[in-house]
Amino acid sequence: MGIGGIVVLIIALVFAGAVIALYNRLVQLRNQVRNAWRQIDVQLKRRHDLIPNLVETVKDYMSYEQETLQQVVQARSRAVQTEGQGPEAAMEAEQALSGALGRMLMVMENYPDLKANQNVAQLMEELASTENRIAFARQFYNDSVMAKNNAVESFPSNMIAGMFGFKHAAYFEIETQERAVPKVDLR
Amino acid sequence: MAEVTCPECGAANSGHGRTCRMCGTPLTAAAAARPRMQRKVLRRTDFLAAARANQRATNVLVVTLLAIGAVLGYLIGWNLQLHLDDAAALPAGIWFVSGWGVVGAVGLVGFGGVWSTVTFSFGDRIVLGIVGARAVTREEAPQLHNVVEEMAIAAGLTKPAIYVVETPALNAFATGLRRNRAAVAVTRGLLDTLNRDELQGVIGHEMGHIVNLDMRYATAVGVMVGLVALVADLALRSLYYSGGGRRRGGRGGGAGGAVALIILVVFAVLAPIFAKLVQMAVSRQREFLADATSVRLTRNPQGLIAALQKLGESAQPFKGANRATQHMFIVNPFRNFTDRSSRLLATHPPIERRIQRLMNLGA
Repeated sequence: MGIGGIVVLIIALVFAGAVIALYNRLVQLRNQVRNAWRQIDVQLKRRHDLIPNLVETVKDYMSYEQETLQQVVQARSRAVQTEGQGPEAAMEAEQALSGALGRMLMVMENYPDLKANQNVAQLMEELASTENRIAFARQFYNDSVMAKNNAVESFPSNMIAGMFGFKHAAYFEIETQERAVPKVDLR
Repeated sequence: MAEVTCPECGAANSGHGRTCRMCGTPLTAAAAARPRMQRKVLRRTDFLAAARANQRATNVLVVTLLAIGAVLGYLIGWNLQLHLDDAAALPAGIWFVSGWGVVGAVGLVGFGGVWSTVTFSFGDRIVLGIVGARAVTREEAPQLHNVVEEMAIAAGLTKPAIYVVETPALNAFATGLRRNRAAVAVTRGLLDTLNRDELQGVIGHEMGHIVNLDMRYATAVGVMVGLVALVADLALRSLYYSGGGRRRGGRGGGAGGAVALIILVVFAVLAPIFAKLVQMAVSRQREFLADATSVRLTRNPQGLIAALQKLGESAQPFKGANRATQHMFIVNPFRNFTDRSSRLLATHPPIERRIQRLMNLGA
């Protein structure tokens, strides 16, 4: 084999290496998107597990607020039924649960001795953390989608993506309803 | 002059400056009339663009550092060839591409790379012991655990180990050469002083160091700087002890050899200083980058801004820190944060500059 042959061989090897690297990067991004999607479910499940504890702890203090608590319990059981169906199917029930929890937290503000309770304070922290986790899990999912879509669209990885059928991933979009500030009836 | 309140961020200014010391908003008509200079500092940006800019700056600095090492290696090889190689085999004069020089350049940079890689494989948690950090359980610090876990979710990483340093000083640091085997540590003073949002900003900053692999940057850059200093020192010493003695065969005694020698000496004296300056500049860029990453994770610049203000105001000294670990903290544990005199050698940018940049992230 002459010098020319060696040069051609080296170019071919470099080219193959680049294709493999780009392909593996796309696979990694695709798996990250899938994993991030499941992570949202994990965090939703965590919230479901937390609520019975919370209701149990506060119900003695909030005997006049049975209705609020009842709403939380009902919203939770509806949300539990959507477990395992993916975040999109669960969205409506989860939004209702968020709303019910928000109302309960607001009502709890009216009970100073409740907030002074160590157990309640801890549960409130757990609840706040769970809400954050859900939000951050969705955010990471969307970040992962952006990374994948960037790779699928930009040169040169878009050529590999086209060849091996890597597609755009869909962003998780929250309906405007949840983003709006909840209205509180003060009477 | 009277005190001026900034119309943009509400910070109190002494009235001497033309722009607000916190956010850079022009305070006088003269400053407002110079829009081009302002735009350079105050350009609104988002955290992704800020992160890219910081990463680019790091890349330039790292390449500069490698170039310093390569030039030093080349000059040493070149001088050795002039002195030791068979004169007859060399081209005339001293300005030729030195084969020994190329070997020296590649050798020095390559050795730095190998040494860094070896260092990567151990010793990533030594600092925890040095500053007296203690692992805390979820029961002891539930909120800290929650906040760290939230940030790990936002970053898509495994939750790092969590440590607390029992000191009233306000500080935090992260360590770990691998993203999924890292640790964050905060001081007791920080836990007691910051609210949840501020703590989240600080932990986001530390998670930023982990995501951006800043321990590796710090280690690799530190190895290269140390190597440059060591090799430059060796070169100078061997020249000193050989005392300009004549070498066999080579042309070391010629005028050309003397010129080459002077170039080497000058560079060997300057290289460690420049390398150190580059190292500190890298450290400052990584701090800016971690701030931007914190905002990417929390989507709430206000938390980190408020935390940095509290950290800047705190006068509590941190006794556990030392010079070798100072670059790892969220704010430098030694320095007077507003000191501008020694900016080039600082491991961290001044806190006002960091707050200013955070405010530009569309806060």
